[in-house]
Amino acid sequence: MDNARYLRLSALCVAAILANGAADAATSGSLGATSTGSVSIGASVPNRVQISGLSNVDFTNQDPAVAAVSAQNVCVWSNTSTKGYNVTASGSGTASAFTLANGAATVPYSVEWAQTSGQSAGTSLGVGTALTGQKSTATNALCASGPSSTASLIVRMSTASLQSMPALTVYTGTLTLVVAPE
Amino acid sequence: MVAIDTIATALLSKAGGRSIRRSTLDCVAWCVGACLAPAAPALLAAGLAVLGNGPVEAASNKVRIANLVDVSFGTIANLGADAVQSQSVCVYADTNTNGYNITGIGTGPGGSFQLSSGAASMSFNVLWNSSAGQTSGTQLTPNVPLTGQVSAATQQTCSNGPASSASLVVVVRSAALSSAAAGSYNGSLTLLVGAE
Repeated sequence: MDNARYLRLSALCVAAILANGAADAATSGSLGATSTGSVSIGASVPNRVQISGLSNVDFTNQDPAVAAVSAQNVCVWSNTSTKGYNVTASGSGTASAFTLANGAATVPYSVEWAQTSGQSAGTSLGVGTALTGQKSTATNALCASGPSSTASLIVRMSTASLQSMPALTVYTGTLTLVVAPE
Repeated sequence: MVAIDTIATALLSKAGGRSIRRSTLDCVAWCVGACLAPAAPALLAAGLAVLGNGPVEAASNKVRIANLVDVSFGTIANLGADAVQSQSVCVYADTNTNGYNITGIGTGPGGSFQLSSGAASMSFNVLWNSSAGQTSGTQLTPNVPLTGQVSAATQQTCSNGPASSASLVVVVRSAALSSAAAGSYNGSLTLLVGAE
């Protein structure tokens, strides 16, 4: 075996030994009146967010002369280092528009978001456009402990929309909110 | 009586640590050769009686924990469920009852079972089962011995007999996961075994 090959093999052996040692730091105990062993423990928690605490929105018997507003507190949890997130909304109308429908008839509504709870106004959301830079104060994924809610969802219907709706006619739709970590 | 005393006190130690008495056949043969006097049969009978009534083995009251492996949860994708890692280990107890106790000590404050990622921490639970191959067990309290455990190991590293004799289970509860900041968490767990 020439010297170069010997050195290459030696280096490989040393590398293998070092690699094994680094991968396993567990220690066994020795035989005695007591014996002590140890293990290292590792776990990785990925970026995660969760939105919860949402309630359906009902505008019932609205006075067409008065704009309708529904605000609710929701829980958004983010485990990133900044507790940051973004939120994207989409409706059930054409091209995910924020519209309610009764057959072929539709009526628009608007959506706002505030990163604190208890708000009756917030930043207007565009269809499919992420509102970035939001921060959560939640300490539990479902706000079961710590603050019970962390953000506000506001849905509005203008007087123009209300006045376009025939009386005693029910319009329905769905609003989807997608939250992503930042 | 000299021969009987020799038989009664002869002790050897196995490489594995468990103490045994010298072969009774060797001792009896020696006795027969040395005691061919008229009183030899009575002497031999007395010697055999001592052997029959006396303990066959003497315990060294030594213990050993071996065959531990580092615990790696990897990336825990589902934070809504408990993450569980279990392993079979070897605990050997050379006591009269093969009994032992075990104490877990973590690297959190006061020996608590905590993993850390910078300033962030995440708690975990340690369960112990005195049988191998288990995924559940008795929850250990940091620094508090779990007593009354019994080992089935017959060799100090389980190189023969049962290959393992107990289970170590590490659990990160969903409550801890769902409250933890994202990151890589590390820590260590020390297990102290004592004879019983």
